[in-house]
Amino acid sequence: MSMQVEGTIERKGLGPGTWALVSNDGKTYELHNPPADLHKAGLNVKVKGEIREDIMSFAMIGPILEVKSFEVLG
Amino acid sequence: MKKLLLLGLFLGGLWLAIANFTGLAHQGTYDSIVLDFREDVGAAQIEEQVQAIAKQFNISPRLNSEFSLADHVFVVPGDQKLLRALKKSEVRKYTEFIEPNYIYQAFIAPNDPDYGKQWNLRSINVEAAWDETKGKGATVAVIDTGISPVPDLAKTTFVKGYDFVNDRVEAIDDNGHGTHVAGTIAQSTNNSFGVAGIAYEANLMPLKVLSSSGGGNIADIAEAIRFAADNGAQVVNMSLGGGGESQLMKEAIDYAHSKEVVIVAAAGNSNENAAAYPARYPYVIGVSALGPSGTKAPYSNFGAGIDISAPGGSRDGDDPAGGILQNTINPETGESVFEAYQGTSMAAPHVAGVAALLKAEGISNPDEVEDVLKQSALKVENDALNHYGAGKLDAAAAVKLATRGRITFCDFFRWLRDNGYLNPRFWIDGGVIALWPKILMVIGSYLLAWFLRNFFPFTWGWSLSTGLIAGSSGLFFLKGIYLFDAPQWPFRVLGSSIAELGGAIQGTTTLNPIFASVLIPLALIVLLLGHSQWKWFAIGTAIGMTACLGVSAILSPAMMWMGDGIAARIFLLVNAVFCFALARLAVQPGGASTT
Repeated sequence: MSMQVEGTIERKGLGPGTWALVSNDGKTYELHNPPADLHKAGLNVKVKGEIREDIMSFAMIGPILEVKSFEVLG
Repeated sequence: MKKLLLLGLFLGGLWLAIANFTGLAHQGTYDSIVLDFREDVGAAQIEEQVQAIAKQFNISPRLNSEFSLADHVFVVPGDQKLLRALKKSEVRKYTEFIEPNYIYQAFIAPNDPDYGKQWNLRSINVEAAWDETKGKGATVAVIDTGISPVPDLAKTTFVKGYDFVNDRVEAIDDNGHGTHVAGTIAQSTNNSFGVAGIAYEANLMPLKVLSSSGGGNIADIAEAIRFAADNGAQVVNMSLGGGGESQLMKEAIDYAHSKEVVIVAAAGNSNENAAAYPARYPYVIGVSALGPSGTKAPYSNFGAGIDISAPGGSRDGDDPAGGILQNTINPETGESVFEAYQGTSMAAPHVAGVAALLKAEGISNPDEVEDVLKQSALKVENDALNHYGAGKLDAAAAVKLATRGRITFCDFFRWLRDNGYLNPRFWIDGGVIALWPKILMVIGSYLLAWFLRNFFPFTWGWSLSTGLIAGSSGLFFLKGIYLFDAPQWPFRVLGSSIAELGGAIQGTTTLNPIFASVLIPLALIVLLLGHSQWKWFAIGTAIGMTACLGVSAILSPAMMWMGDGIAARIFLLVNAVFCFALARLAVQPGGASTT
C-alpha cells in the first residue's frame, strides 16, 4: 500500500530504540530501514513509502512504513 | 437416653479433634529456646536462675543481642526435650514465657551484584520459585535479533539455533534486543557478576529473524517457529509483532502447538485496544507490560488478546531505574553493556521464563502450562478494559500450583475459540466477570418476583423476565467479548445492568449513584404504568434492581463520590428497599401480564 505521510521524526525508547514518524494527525509509523538522513529527532518531513504488512518488528509501535523517498520540510 | 449418648459421642469426638489439631505453632523447626524473664525480677535473681539452669542442664544461656538485656531475653541451644524440661523446672516461675526460637527461612537472594536493581524479578516472586526449579532441562527458543555471547551469559547453556536473516548457523545479535530478551529468560545467575535471569539453568536456542534495524519478514519468523518445534524447544518467545494476519504464520504456530511448544508473544507497544499479531493468534500467550508501580505501562496494548501481564518497565526520561536491566550489546560497537530497556518485548520473556520453569517441573501440555500461568497469576480487580488478562505473572505461585498437580480446565471460552467455533476476530476474556454476584442477582430477582406473586398473583411474561434481567445483571457475559480493532464499550453497555450503566462507557465498575438508585425504575414505572405489557418490564426492573443493589451493598459497594464504606452500603440498601416497595405498589392484586 503506497502512501504519503507528513509529520515529525521521533526516536521511540522501546527496547534499544526505534525511528518513528508521527504524522500531523497523530498516527505513529515505525520507519523500516530509514536512510541515515532521517535519523534526526524533530525533523519535519514528507515521506513517500509503503506499509509493509509482511514485516514484523520488536518496536510494535504502529504500521511499518518503508521509506521510498522523502522531503525535508522547513 | 439415645440422644444423650449421641450428644456425648459428638462432644467426645469434637474434643479429640481439637486436642489433636497441632496448629501452625507446632510446625516450624528450631534448635534453640527463648527464655523471657519477667520484668519485675531483679538482675541478681535472673543471674542466679541463669547459673542454676546452666548447671542443671549443662548449657550456657546467652543474651540474644546487646539489646536483650533490657528485655531480659536469653537464648539457650536445645531441642524439644530441653524445652519440656525447662517448662517443668524452677526457672519457669521467673519467666513470662519459654518458647522455641523458630528459624525463619529467608529466600536466598542470588549473589549477582546488580540483582538489587531488578525490581521486576522480585515483583514476580522468582526467588521462591527457585526453591523448586531453575529451569534445568527446558529449552527456550528466542525468536529475535539473535543472541550475542555477552559475559553474563557465559554460564548459560545454548543449543543449536539458526540465523534466518543471513542464512547461517551462528545467530549472533547485531542489535541488542535479542540478547537482552535472552538475559531476562536465562541470564547467568549466582555467578557473582551482573544481573540475574528467571530460568537460568534452562537452555537457550537463538533464532535470528530480525535484522540489525529491528524488522524481519513473516516467512522467516514462521520458519523459525517450525525450526524451534523440530529441534526440541519447549517454549518459544516472540518479542515482536506487527503486520497483518498470515496463514503461513498461523500454520507454523498450530504446528508448534501440536508438538507441545508453549508460544509466548508481546502484546505490542502502541497503547491500543488489541494485541498485535502474533500475540492474537490462537495458542499464543499474549503478554501486556507492567511498569514498576505494577500498573499497565503507558505504551502497552490491552484488551483483546491479552492473556497475562508481566513487568515490561516504564522509564522516566533518561532515568534507567524503571526499566528492565539485563546484559546486552551496544549495537554501535558490539561491546557488552548493561542496559535498562522498556517494552512489551521485555514483558513476554518473563512469561517465557516462568513457562520454562513449569516445563522443567514436568508439565508437557502447553494448554496446561497456560492454565497454570493464568490460574496462579495475581488477579486484578475491576480490570474492565482488560489491561492485565488473567492477572499479573507470579512465578512462585505458578511453580507451586504445578507441583501440587491440581489443575482445572475451566477456560471454556478459550476452548471454543481455539477450536474454531468462534470467529478468530472475536476474543473472549473469561476472567472479567465476577460470576457469583451476577448469579446471585439473577436468582435473587426471580425469588423476589416469585415472593410477590404469592401475595399478588400475576402471570409470568417475557416483559417481566426482560425487566428482571435488565434490572439485576444485564447480559453480563457480553462484557467479556472483544472484537479485534473495534471499541469494546458497546459490549460493556449491553452487558451492564441498569445500575451499572453509569460507569459502562468509561469502563469502571464503580457504581454511579444516579443509575444505582430507585430513580430509573421509578421513571420507568411512571412512564409505563398505563401500558398493559411494558408495565411488567418496569416492574421487572424494579425487582431486578432490588436484587442488584442488595447484592452490591453486601459484596461490592464501591460508589462514585461515596467510596465503599458504610455510607455507600446504606445508600444501596435503602434504594434496594425503595425499589422493592415500588414494585410492590405497582403490582396490583389480580393484575395479569400478557404474554
